[in-house]
Amino acid sequence: MFDICKEARYNRGMISEEKLSLLTESAKYDVSCSSSGSGRKNEGGIGNGYASGCCHSFTPDGRCISLLKILLSNDCVFDCKYCVNRCSADAPRATATPEEICELTMDFYKRNYIEGLFLSSAVHRSPDHTMEQLLLTVKKLRTEYRFFGYIHVKAIPYADERLVNETARYADRMSYNVELPSEKSLKLLAPQKSKASVLLPISKLAREKEIFRAENRKGKFLPAGQTTQMIVGASPEPDGQILRLSQRLYRGAGLKRVYYSSYVPVVRDPLLPDVPGGALREHRLYQADWLLRFYGFSAEEIVEDDGNLSLELDPKCAWALRNMHLFPVEVNRAPLELLLRVPGIGARSAYKILEARQYASLDFVHLKKMRVVLKRARHFITANGKFYGAKSDAAVRGLLTAGERAQNAEQLSLFAAENAAAALTGEL
Amino acid sequence: MIYFYDGTKEAFLTAFLLAWGDREAVFASQNAQLSLGQTCTFVRTDAAAAKRAEQRFLSFDKESMRDLGTMLRSGDANRDAVALAYFRLLAEKKRPVRGMLADDAVRAADECMRRVGLEIHRFHGFLRFMESASGALYAPFSPDNDICDLVAPHFRARLGGYPFVIHDVKRKKAAVCDGKTIFVAPLERAEVALSADETEWQSLWKTYYASVNIPSRERLKQMRGYMPVRYWKHLTEFR
Repeated sequence: MFDICKEARYNRGMISEEKLSLLTESAKYDVSCSSSGSGRKNEGGIGNGYASGCCHSFTPDGRCISLLKILLSNDCVFDCKYCVNRCSADAPRATATPEEICELTMDFYKRNYIEGLFLSSAVHRSPDHTMEQLLLTVKKLRTEYRFFGYIHVKAIPYADERLVNETARYADRMSYNVELPSEKSLKLLAPQKSKASVLLPISKLAREKEIFRAENRKGKFLPAGQTTQMIVGASPEPDGQILRLSQRLYRGAGLKRVYYSSYVPVVRDPLLPDVPGGALREHRLYQADWLLRFYGFSAEEIVEDDGNLSLELDPKCAWALRNMHLFPVEVNRAPLELLLRVPGIGARSAYKILEARQYASLDFVHLKKMRVVLKRARHFITANGKFYGAKSDAAVRGLLTAGERAQNAEQLSLFAAENAAAALTGEL
Repeated sequence: MIYFYDGTKEAFLTAFLLAWGDREAVFASQNAQLSLGQTCTFVRTDAAAAKRAEQRFLSFDKESMRDLGTMLRSGDANRDAVALAYFRLLAEKKRPVRGMLADDAVRAADECMRRVGLEIHRFHGFLRFMESASGALYAPFSPDNDICDLVAPHFRARLGGYPFVIHDVKRKKAAVCDGKTIFVAPLERAEVALSADETEWQSLWKTYYASVNIPSRERLKQMRGYMPVRYWKHLTEFR
């Protein structure tokens, strides 16, 4: 009886629970799960884009489920030292068919479980074969199943350019993993990958998108752009070098996001460190990354070439303390660019202040009622000429570090339960 | 004086005109606590007067009627007072007041509308459809605010021609879409005969939900912050 059921399931193209669970387990450490940036319209099928992105559920680890994150196969020919799916690992392997992925996506989407598909794969047989299968799957989904929801496809290093470019016609977003921030580390830890195999295709794909736009061709080409991800702490690169690379990717290749995942030793190898990269460092990198993208900072302002970010202070505080001659600023007059540089004032608060001060001169009571967080900001602003910060620069530094320390003590304890099986990648 | 009205835009505007000059006015569309010596009146909608008030408010602020609609959807016990204070300010200033965030009335209204908007956005994600034997989709939910017809257009655009029902179990009403038009109807209870595959897809979703979690990194507080427990009742992954 059981076998007959299974048979029937297979004929309908419904994936088995075992396979689904195996291919999800292998994909779950991937950091990205965003579904924003695409305004794709429903052209007579099912699904559309949601420009701001949409979370459909949250798992007990606090992460959101937006996309159906799954591998087409976890059967890899590469042997990256840090990876759970590397070919030398003794792990159960599975490969799904394009139909199984399509059916699963359609039926999950229809029930509003997911916002779209995040399709990735181990390098199965060869890069070209894998890319072909990924292309086949998304093409089927778009043309046969008439699916217009969000699709993120991971690009496979060394795969033929033509395959990648064709995939880009069907996907909303693609990503190559940079993995490690320098050629030297790649050689050591991911022997089959090189800087040329990851950075070059990123800029090629960006150029292809520009050509597509310039020629005004019909259809779409990665409306939500490209992203990438880097493992931090498995290799010795300092934060300065990492952020400079991110800046280059943002400015040069128009990347939408760089994800950082702090290294956690899942695999023991003499080439890999035994200690985890630390969640706090990852957190600081994300803070710095936000400063690059939304706050008008450059990597050079945030951290020196071969330096690391301060763990004690967030990068904006650290910058402000190095530039005390610019402060305090008057909230009723300061331009947006400067408001955004005040520690503790985020983009939302800055815009609120801009709006509210057109009608009334703002004092500290107003700011507090408007939910502008003043714990850090009060040392760097005046409101209606009044200043409520500490008297000297040294005192400000002392207060800020003490505040951070209290916060971090709590923050670190959250991660204390993490053990080796917990992931290479992490999201804050 | 307490002004009881039925919670519609027209009744609110009628009451607004009646209460003009009454600085002690209290608006109530739900249950209200009567205190000794307080008088009350039941406002009967005057369509012509409401229309006049609407035109006037629109001339002050083009978005004012949309804002009023949003505020009256709120499930917050204070919403009538919040709306009254906001519209009194608008009538006094005779120009958009949305940006005056230093003012208490504006901030309260802003907060109230933000909550409704946030819940609509949340249910774009948290609504769960089940497929019935006829192929129509059915989603029960119990939102804090009265939003079933406000979440429906999103799903109409997305689901192509699929007919669907979004059932507000708490308010016993439903937004029904036949694939093209949406209408709201009272609905006490729905019996849904599920399609042949439905339970299998539900069980696959539960498998997925369990597999994608990283158990060693438990952060339940964060999870509940993003997805409040009161919404879990209708989520497939917890049933």
